[in-house]
Amino acid sequence: MATGTGNREPQSFERRADERGSGGFSSETVTTLAIFGLCVLLLLASRFISPAFGSLSHLQTILILSSFLIVAGFGQGMVIMTGGLDLSIASIITLGGVACTTLGHMGSLMAIPLALVICAGVGLVSGFGVAKLRIPPFIMTMAMGVIVYSACLGYTKGSPWGSAPEAAITLMKSDLLGLPLAVYFVVAFALFGWFLQKRTSFGRRVQAVGSNARAAQLAGVRAARVTMLVYAASAASAGLVGVMLAGYADGATLRMGESYLLTSIAAVVIGGSSILGGAGTFLGTVGGAILLTTLGTIIQSLGVDEGWRTIIEGMIIVIALLLLRDQLYTKIRMMTSALPGR
Amino acid sequence: MNTATQTADAAAATSPSRQRPPLRRILSNGAVIIGLVYLTLYGIYALNEPSALTVYSFSSLMNNAAPLALAAAGVTVVILSRGFDLSVAGVISLTNVLMAVHPMEGAAGGLTSLALCLVLGGAIGAINGILVSYVKLQSIASTLGVMIVCQGAALLILDAPGGYVSDWISYGLTDVALEVLPISGLILLLVACLWGLFLRTDLAVGIYAVGADENAALLSGVRVRRVRLAAYILAGALYGFAGYMLSAQTATGNPNAGEPFILLAFAAAAIGGTSFAGGQGGIVGSMIGAATLMLLQKVLFSAGVSSFYTGLFQGVILIAAILFSGMLTTISNKGRAQ
Repeated sequence: MATGTGNREPQSFERRADERGSGGFSSETVTTLAIFGLCVLLLLASRFISPAFGSLSHLQTILILSSFLIVAGFGQGMVIMTGGLDLSIASIITLGGVACTTLGHMGSLMAIPLALVICAGVGLVSGFGVAKLRIPPFIMTMAMGVIVYSACLGYTKGSPWGSAPEAAITLMKSDLLGLPLAVYFVVAFALFGWFLQKRTSFGRRVQAVGSNARAAQLAGVRAARVTMLVYAASAASAGLVGVMLAGYADGATLRMGESYLLTSIAAVVIGGSSILGGAGTFLGTVGGAILLTTLGTIIQSLGVDEGWRTIIEGMIIVIALLLLRDQLYTKIRMMTSALPGR
Repeated sequence: MNTATQTADAAAATSPSRQRPPLRRILSNGAVIIGLVYLTLYGIYALNEPSALTVYSFSSLMNNAAPLALAAAGVTVVILSRGFDLSVAGVISLTNVLMAVHPMEGAAGGLTSLALCLVLGGAIGAINGILVSYVKLQSIASTLGVMIVCQGAALLILDAPGGYVSDWISYGLTDVALEVLPISGLILLLVACLWGLFLRTDLAVGIYAVGADENAALLSGVRVRRVRLAAYILAGALYGFAGYMLSAQTATGNPNAGEPFILLAFAAAAIGGTSFAGGQGGIVGSMIGAATLMLLQKVLFSAGVSSFYTGLFQGVILIAAILFSGMLTTISNKGRAQ
C-alpha cells in the first residue's frame, strides 16, 4: 500500500467514500485485505505443523468446507447489513436439506428450485414480521426458526428419508479440469455476492436501509420491501446450504444446520461488518468464513481434546475481533495518510 | 424512535408513576401482561389436568422454571443496558459440570457451591464486560467467543454427561417448605424482591439510562463504561445461579447443559416485555416469561399435542405475545401523548 505510486490511493478512496456517503470504504478494504492476509499467514504457519498443510489439496479442502459458511454468511450478512439478525438459519438449512431429499425423486430440476422457493417463502414471512408488524428481528427469526424446526421434526417423525438430488451431489463431489466443481462454485458465488452488494441498486438500497431506514425511505427506497426481500434472500441462501450439505453427505439430518447459526454470525462480524447494520462487505465475510474454516481444520489436526479445541475456537473469535476492530483501521488509515507526498 | 422519546422512556422507566394514568400504566407493564398470560395458561392447564392444582404439580413446575427464569433474568440485565450476552449457555454448562464433579455435602457445602457459582459467573461476566465496554468489541460476537471458551472448559472438566450433585442441593432445593411453598419458587421470589431493592440504586438507574440513550447518559454524568461492566457482572452471577438451580433439578452434570438456554432465555425476556432496543423492561417480567414458556410445554402435552410440534406452538405464541404487548404499549403511549 505504501509504494511510491500508491500514495494517491488512500486519498481517492476517501473521496469516493464521501461521495457515496458510506463512510467506510477504506476501512472495509483494509479489513478484507487484513483477513485474507491472516488466512495466508495461517496457512504458511500451518506448514510447520504438518507438511500436508498449505498444499493445494489442503487449500481445496478448505474452500469446499468453507463454501457452506460462505453461502450462509451471504444471507446472514445481508440481514445484518439492514440492522437485523437471522437466527432461523440453522432451521432453514435443515428445511432446505429435508425438502430437497424428500422431493429428490422428482429430479434435480424440480427438487432444488422447489426447496429454495419453500425456504424463501419462510424468509418472506420473517421479513413481513420484521418490516410490517415491527417485531424485533431477533425474536421474529428465532420464532420462525423454532417453528420451522418443529415442522421438520413433525413431518419427518425424527428421521428424514430420501437421497440428495443428482445435481447437488455433482456440485459437491465432482471435478472439472482437475479442480473440484465446488471450488469454482465458491469463487463464482463470492463474485456474485460482491457484485450484488456493491454494483447493483438493490445492494445499495440494502445498505441505505441499514445505515438509516428513515433517510432511505425519504430518498425513495421502499424500506419495507427491501427488508422483506433481504430476509427472503437469507432464507434462500440458507436453503441452498441445506441442499449443498445434503449433496455433500448424500442425505439430510435434522441437526445438519446447527453448527452454522453462530458461526455465520461470527464470520460476518469477523469480516468487519457492524452488527448494528449499514457497514460491511461480502468479501470480508468470505474472508471471515475461510479464516474460521482454516483454523477449524488446523485445530482438528492438532490432536488435542475436544475441550481444548473448543476453547481455542472461542479464543480465536475474540482474538480476531481484537485484531480487526475499528480503531485499528483508523490508525492504519492515519498512518497511510500521514505518508510524505500528500 | 428518536432520542427525545428514548430519554422520556428512560425517565418513565425510573419514575413511571408521574406520567401515565394508573390503568394504562399497569396494562403497559410487561410483567403484569405476562403475569395475566401465565394465569390464563394455568387455568387452561387446570381444566385439562385436574392434578395441576396440587402442590406437587406446582412445585415441579417451579423447579422446571427456576433455571430458565434466572438465566432469563441475567440476559435481561444486559439487554436493558443495550447489549447481548450469549455467554449464558457457557456459564450454565460450566457451573453445572463443576457441581457434578466436585459435589460438596451438607448445608455448608451447598452454600459454598452457590458462592462459587456466583463468583465464577460474575468473573466470566467481568471478562464480557471488559471486552464490551472497555475494549469496545461488539457484544454478540465477543460474548459468543466467551461462551465457546466456557463450553470448552466444561468439556475439559467433564467430557460426557455424568457425575452427581450433592444431596443437600438436589433434594433440599427441589423440596416444598411448610407443605405448600416450593423452595425454588421462594428463591425466584427472593431474586425478584432483591431486584426491586436494586432498582432504587444509582447503578440500576444507570443501566436503564445507558440502555435508553448512551450519549444522554454520558452527558448527564453516568459512568457508562463502569455501568456496562456492572451489568455484565450481575448477569454472569445470575447465570451462575441458574447453573446452580439446574444442577439441583437434574442432579447430574452435562457439559452441554446450557445450550438450550440461549434461545429460550432471550424468548423469555422478549415475552416478558423487555425491549431489545434497551432501556425498557425488567427481570420480573422475564422470570414470569420463563415460567410461561415452561408451563406452555406442559399445557401442550396435557392437551395431547405431539411433542414434535411443541416448538411450532412456542414459536407462534412467541410472535403473538410480542404483537400483543406491542399493541398495548402503543395504546398506552397514545394515552401519554394526549
